[in-house]
This record gives sequence, C-alpha cells and structure tokens, in this order.
Amino acid sequence: MGQSQTNLLQGTLDLLILKAVGDGEMHGLGISRRIEQITQGTFQVKPGSLFPALHRMEEAGWLTSFWGESENNRRAKYYRRTKAGERQVGVETKQWTTIAEAMASALKA
Amino acid sequence: MRSLLRIIAGVRNLFHMRQVEGDLDAEVRAYVDGVTEERIAAGMTPEAARRSALAEIGGTESVKQAVRDGRAGTALGTIWQDVRFALRILRKAPGFTAVVVLTLALGIGANTAIFTLVNAVLLQTIPVSHPEELVVMRWSAHKEPESTGMSSFGDCTMRRSSGNRSACSMPYPVYRALAGRRDLFADVTAFAGTADLNLAGNGQASIAQGELVSGTYFDTLGVPAALGRTLETADEQKGADAVAVLDYGYWQRAFGGAQGVVGRTIRLNNAAFTIVGVADRRFTRLTPGKTADVYVPVNQAKALGLRWGDADDAQAWWVTVVARLKSGVKRSEAEAAANVAFLNETMHAQKPAWKDADDPRLTLVPAQEGLSGFRRALGEPLRLLMAAVGIVLLIACANVAGLLLARSASRERELAVRLALGATRRRVMKQLLTESVLLSLAGAAVGTLLAYAGATALAAFASTNGDRPLQIEVAPDLHVLLFTIAVALATGIGFGLAPAIRGARMRSAAEMSRGTTEAQNVPVGRQRLGMGSTLVVLQVALSIVMLTGAGLLLRTLGNLRSVDAGFDTRNVLLVWINPELAGYDKTHVQGLYENLQQRLSSLPGVKSVSYSSTALLNGGLWTEGVKVEGQTNKQSVDSQMLRVGPRYFETMRLPLVRGRSLGVADVRGGPPAAIVNEAFVRKFLEGRDPIGLRFGPDEKGAPQWTIVGVAKDAKYSSLEEEVAPTAYVPLNTGGATFALRTNGPPAGLVAAVRKTVQEVDDNVPVMQVRTQSEAIDRQLFNQRLMARLLGGFASLGLGLACIGLYGLLSYEVARRTREIGVRTALGAQRSDVLAMFLRRGLIVVLVGSVAGVGAAAGLTRVLQSLLFGVQVLDPLTFLGAAMLFAVVGLAACLLPASRAVRVDPAEALRCE
Repeated sequence: MGQSQTNLLQGTLDLLILKAVGDGEMHGLGISRRIEQITQGTFQVKPGSLFPALHRMEEAGWLTSFWGESENNRRAKYYRRTKAGERQVGVETKQWTTIAEAMASALKA
Repeated sequence: MRSLLRIIAGVRNLFHMRQVEGDLDAEVRAYVDGVTEERIAAGMTPEAARRSALAEIGGTESVKQAVRDGRAGTALGTIWQDVRFALRILRKAPGFTAVVVLTLALGIGANTAIFTLVNAVLLQTIPVSHPEELVVMRWSAHKEPESTGMSSFGDCTMRRSSGNRSACSMPYPVYRALAGRRDLFADVTAFAGTADLNLAGNGQASIAQGELVSGTYFDTLGVPAALGRTLETADEQKGADAVAVLDYGYWQRAFGGAQGVVGRTIRLNNAAFTIVGVADRRFTRLTPGKTADVYVPVNQAKALGLRWGDADDAQAWWVTVVARLKSGVKRSEAEAAANVAFLNETMHAQKPAWKDADDPRLTLVPAQEGLSGFRRALGEPLRLLMAAVGIVLLIACANVAGLLLARSASRERELAVRLALGATRRRVMKQLLTESVLLSLAGAAVGTLLAYAGATALAAFASTNGDRPLQIEVAPDLHVLLFTIAVALATGIGFGLAPAIRGARMRSAAEMSRGTTEAQNVPVGRQRLGMGSTLVVLQVALSIVMLTGAGLLLRTLGNLRSVDAGFDTRNVLLVWINPELAGYDKTHVQGLYENLQQRLSSLPGVKSVSYSSTALLNGGLWTEGVKVEGQTNKQSVDSQMLRVGPRYFETMRLPLVRGRSLGVADVRGGPPAAIVNEAFVRKFLEGRDPIGLRFGPDEKGAPQWTIVGVAKDAKYSSLEEEVAPTAYVPLNTGGATFALRTNGPPAGLVAAVRKTVQEVDDNVPVMQVRTQSEAIDRQLFNQRLMARLLGGFASLGLGLACIGLYGLLSYEVARRTREIGVRTALGAQRSDVLAMFLRRGLIVVLVGSVAGVGAAAGLTRVLQSLLFGVQVLDPLTFLGAAMLFAVVGLAACLLPASRAVRVDPAEALRCE
C-alpha cells in the first residue's frame, strides 16, 4: 500500500469491479487482486471500499452472489455479473470515455 | 426498477438481520484468511501473516460498519435501534415517563374527544353509497313565495336577510316536475318531517318520529332493506295501501328486532299502516343529527292529519328535494336545466309564486353541505371548543418540554459520551426526537381511551340536553385515528425539538471534562433556565386565557340563571300531551283537559294544575299580527300569543296587575276574552285604559279578543330576550302542556302523572315530561356546554401550568443546593432563601399573567355571541382569572421554596 497509490476517482470503482468480475465468478479478495492486476498496480482497492461497493451493486441488481468453495477449500461468497451489470458496463464506459477524451483535449490545449 | 430492487433488498435486510450479519462476517473473515494465506505462501510466519493481513484491512468491524451504512434499509434499522434505546431509557425513569404520558394523554385525549364530535357533526359523510352524487335543491329569491304554508324541518337552513330569502322547502307538484327530468337525474326524492306520530298497536301508545318520503326515497339514496322491502313508487300512488318502513335502530329498540314485524299492522295517528320492511342498518340518517323511527309515503300526510302536508296543493311549500345526478351530467348543467323547470312550475302556475322582479332561482347544492341539520347550531361551539383544546395541548406541550429540558441536565454526560464516541449530531437529535415521539404516541394511546369516554359522555349530554333529541355517532373512524396520530406526531416533535436541538449542540469534550457537580453549575445552566422559564411563562399565559374564557361563560350562566322570568320557575312539572294525535276532535279535547286538570290536581304534593298551548321558556313561540282597537296606526302589530287554560296565572304564579283571570267559562266558549302583559299595554296602548279594548288578527272571521286583565311581564321564548308584547287567550283546540305546581321538587311525580294520563285515556301518549328548570336548562344548552367544558379545560390548564411552575422551581432548588448551603453558612436567613425562590416564581407568574391577560383581551371576542350580561373585556373576570392563578401559583412555588429553606448547609457542602 505505497504512497503512490492513486486515489480512486469518484465513480470509477463500480466500473472497475464490473470489469474485473467480467464473465466469471469471483470472491472479494479475487476481485481486489484482479483490479490491481488489470490496472498494473495503480489501483489497490481496500476492503473498506470494496465490500460496501459490492453490497451496494448487488442491491442495485448489477451483481448476483452465491456461496461456494474457494481454491483452498474455504467457504467464500462469489459474485457474478448480471445482464443489468453488463448494460451498466456499457453506460459507464461511455461516460468514462467522454470524460477521458475531454480531459485529454483540455490538457493538450 | 433499481429503487424497487433496493426497497426489496432493504426489507429483506431488515427481516433477516441475523443472517445478513452472519454472511457479512463470514465474507470479511474469508478475505482476511485469503490474504493471510497469500502472505504465508510468500514466506511469512502464520502469526506475522495474520497481523499484516489485519493491518491491510484496517479493522474488520469498520469494514462491516461501512457495508452496513451503505446498505438499503439502514435508515429503518437505525430507527428501530433508536426506538429500542428510547424504550430502555424511558423504562429507567418510570416516574418521569408516567407523568409525561399522563400529561400528554390529557392534552391529546381532550383534542381527540372534541375532534370526534367535530368529525361526527361537521365532517362525516352521509351514510349512503356515493353521497357525493347527491344534491339538494335550494331556491332563493328577494322574498318568500306566495304560499298557503311554508314548513321546514331543520334539514336545510332557511336564510333570511334583507332582500333575500332562501330555503329548500317546495310544493309537491314542483317535485314531480323535477323528478320527471330523467335526462339530468338518476333518481329524485322528496321528503318532509319528522312529525311526532302517535304509534299504537305495539304495546302502550308511544310517540314515533315519522318521516314522510316519496316512493323513490330509498332507491335514490341507494339504501337496501334489511328485512322485507323498502318503499316503491307504487306506494305513493293515490289509493295505494298505507305502508310503513321502520328504521333499523327503531326496529331494534321498539320491536326487539322481531323478524315477524313485516306484515304487521300498526296505527299511526289513528290510521292503519302495514309494515313492509326495515331499512338497512348502516342508514342512520340523511341530515346530520336527525333521525326517523318510521318512514311512510308522502301522500299519507292527510291520513295522518298533518295539516302542513298537502301533496295536491301547489302552493304548500313543505318537501325537501334531493336528487342523484345522472352519471356524466355536471352539477352546473343539471342546475341550469332544473332552474328552467323550477321557474316554469312556479312562475307559470295558476297563481305565480313570485313576480319576475323577485328574481327567483334554483341552485343544486351538494347534499353533504346543503343538508346541514344541527351542524349550524353546534358548529360554532365546536369550533370554539376545538380552539380551547388546542390551547390545552399547547400547555401540555410546554409542560412536557420543560420536564424534558430539566431532565436533559442529568443526561448531559450521556450525550457527551455518545458524541465523543463518534455519534453524529444528527443521530443524537434523531435519538432524542424518537424518545419524545414515543412518549407522545404512548400519550395518544392512553388519551384515545380518555377521549372515547369523554366523547360518549359529551354526546349523551348533547343529546339529552339539547332542544330536541340528537343522535351523534362517536364511534372512532379513520378520520379520528389519523387526526390523533397526526396530533401525536406533531406534539412529539413540538415538545421534543427544543431539548433535542440543545442536546445535539452540546460541546462534547468540554462537557465530559467537567465533574458531575461542576456540570450543574456552568453558565449554560442559566441559558437553559431561561428556556425553562419561557416555557412556564407560556403555560401561565395560556391558562389565564382559558380561565378568563371560562370565567366569562360562568358569569353569563350566573346572569342567565338570576334573570327574573316573571313567574316562579321552581317546583313546576311540565307534561306534554296531544290528544289530536289519538283522534280527539275539538269538542272532546275540552272535556279531556278539564278531566285531566281535576285528576292531576288531586295527586298528593300537587298544589295547582293548569295548561297552555306550549310551555313558557321552552323554545316554543307563537307570534301573530294583530290590530288593536283604537290604535291610530293602521298597520297591524306583532304580539306573542299563548293559549292558556283556567287557573293558569295562579299555577304559574304570574301575578295579575289589573282585571281578572281567565276561567272555565272563557275556555268553554264564552265571548273571547284575553289577558295582555304590561309590555303590550306600554307598546300599543300607552296612556289608555286597556280593560274592555278589543284586538285580533286583521282577517275576516278571525276572533277579536276583549282584554279583561293585565299580567305582569314574563319571559316567553328565552331568558335572554327583552319581554315582548304578549297576549294570553283561552285554549280550546290542539295539544297542550300541563303545568303542575308542586310543594316540593316535582321529579318524583313523573310516574304518578303518566299513570293518571293513562287511566284517563291510554290512547293519549305523554310526549314529554320535564321540570320547568330542566326546560330552562335546555334553553341554556350552549352556555352550559361551553361553561362546563371550558371550565374543565381551564382547570386542566391551570393544573398543568402549576405543575410546570412547581417543576421549574424544584429543578432550580436542586441545582442550587450547594449555593443555598454556602449562603446559609455565610449567614443568610431562612427568609432570604425563601424570598430568593419565591421572587423567581412570582416573576414568572407575573410575566405570564400580563401576557395572558393581553392575549385574553384579544381572544375573548370570539365568545361574544354566547355571553349575556357581561362584556367581553369584563375587568372583574380578567382580574379574577389573574388572581386565581396568582393564589394557586403561589402555592405551587411555596412547596419547592420551603424545601430550599430546609437545606442543611453542612449536608449540602459535604455532598460533593
């Protein structure tokens, strides 16, 4: 948890989680590590942010969960993306792209 | 969709709290375990791995709390938490809780009780299906129509103002014309009454309230039959069999709910009627407060001998018309068309009812508002009472707020700890408000019970003491329930807000660092006392307003009771009978009355008996336009008239100042003789000898009475009115009220009187028995009701304000015990200590009194119409109210102040 860790931009966490889960099934720690991996270590999501987000997104119907066995035979809660979650990826990706392009052009100017 | 999902999730979270919590715990634990295993795999020792895993997470509890906070249903969950905590806190202080709940119960209960009546009288809808479709037809014009008679029965108020008359009564043929408009109305009905009917054929003869209705009555209102059938159009045809439908309540009361009642024959005013059915149980009334026992077709008026009800007379205005609008027809459209039909009937008849210049028109008024009934009579007192109980509730609120404020002192440390442990100010405030709302809900629950008892008693008082029997439904309904809950919530927030804001505003660290005793002596305390004093000042002021109002009404009542009626009102029993209802004609009535007079006179304890067409001071009045012989003015003048029997003046102790009394010979049909009162002489015969002069209505064939005596002035219709010119003439027709002058209180004679009447002729029903004082009390119904209730509420307010005062000073004494100890130790006298606290109490009382007198001066105006012989700003009453409070308030101050005097300095200083 180095000082270099970039603060998560407001609203990006949901998108990162939805991306990380992808088409598979993942438990909390798995999602956390996957986000670290796909952002090349830029974002490390703490459980204090991760779990509230997971529960909130489940209540919103973007994720669904079930209890299963982890790779080392422990009981773990797995999350899977729903159809609504997939649609949400589309919506948020579009929003994020708009912001990113706007920022890029602003910084170049 | 998303919000719906969240709501479902929230509800699930709430109901499966334990499982949700368990899952969350397992999930977070799995994460920690996962990280630990990663670290072990990376070469750490198991302990070091676990420690570093926990460090990365930063406390499992805070993670779980973060999840909980973000979860749906959290707000509900914390409310539940607050409620449980509040219940615990309140249970810990049972005395405080009981006092607060009781205070609120009285305040809320009084409001609910009065609102129950307001609801029953002013708000409840007509108990029929779709009452909103019903309209009542009301005409208005510059003057009353040309008519052979105009009767109204209290369904819809007759309005008389200069240049405008408006009422609902109509001739039956006009109703027929309007009923023919099936393009406008789904159904139309006409009705009149109720009339006192002598009902025989069901045990002893009794009086039943009979409503005359068209055959369409029940169909228009959508009222089915509970038994048999209701009336039909065929029943109203000429030559149809005489049938009757019973009211459900009357069927239960008078016929014991017997199934075999259908097909039975009863005699109404000596005419045979066959009972064909009983109306639905839910149909209790059309017009508020008016109930009928039996419904008969409108064309039976003649058979019943009711002179005002002639269905063939196009000039007799007596039926009220109610219609149900056809679906899709707007009221304004129906009104325009009905108006044309109405004018066509009334203006183009053989004898037009109006001239064009009188500008008659017909309006359709929603039945709910048009059929006002007793709403008009009771509306104003009820609105006043609603205001009065509102004030009582305010006093109760201020009282409880004061108690909470004093108590919050002892909770300062608790609140400080909670703030220091990270509770947000909002959360603390929510917690305190939850407590006060809980208190007020508990108060409302207890208050509702009080209210039900109170409203029942009030309705009973109103129905037995009013001018005529009323029926008020006090069963609590949805309106009342919602009202009580709203009042309770508003009250809870009202009295809880100030202490809650104060509690949340506390500086946590500062409060905590202080010791217990120190915390009680901080300057903040003075600020709090300021708020506490203000609350007591408010209570004092409001209760003085109430006391002043009650005082004015009590003085009014006293004034009315001490009015000289002009005759002896004590020990008189009044008995109403109407032999004409039992088929007596004019020639036989006379004999019956003489017989009764003789038989009743011989009853033990009876001094003298007479009778008159109506009782004095009982709300009845007969006024006649007469011409007095020799009067220069050609116009006729109005005189009140009363028909009397022999020995009337002797029995009523109404002194004659000149001439002779009326005797048996006058009644039996000698030359028409009359006695007039002094006002008659003063107004019409100034300076002339009245004896021997003649007067009478200015009509052909009307009797011309010769004045044979002059009686002292006596009140006739009401105690409040000036004595008007009155003439007493011999009674030789119609019903009568017998007056029995007794030696002692006359109430014990009632049974003997009834028995005597029955012995003479058991077909003649005794309609009413009352003492003269009861009759007068009924006249004073509004004043009595208001004086009683306002007096009660004012005492309640006074009591609450005194408790508030007592509480304020007690708190002050407790808070300053140490200071008292120091002062006494330094040589202060007991009288100094006593004066210190009494001064404080008296300042509060004084400020409150001044504010209260000021407010009362502005508010007593609303009582104007109820007052008699006393001004709205009567200084004596105002002073009296303030003095009364000063005395009672002083007593409330003395108790805690004397406790302060007894403080032992050594003890006070030691108890650190």
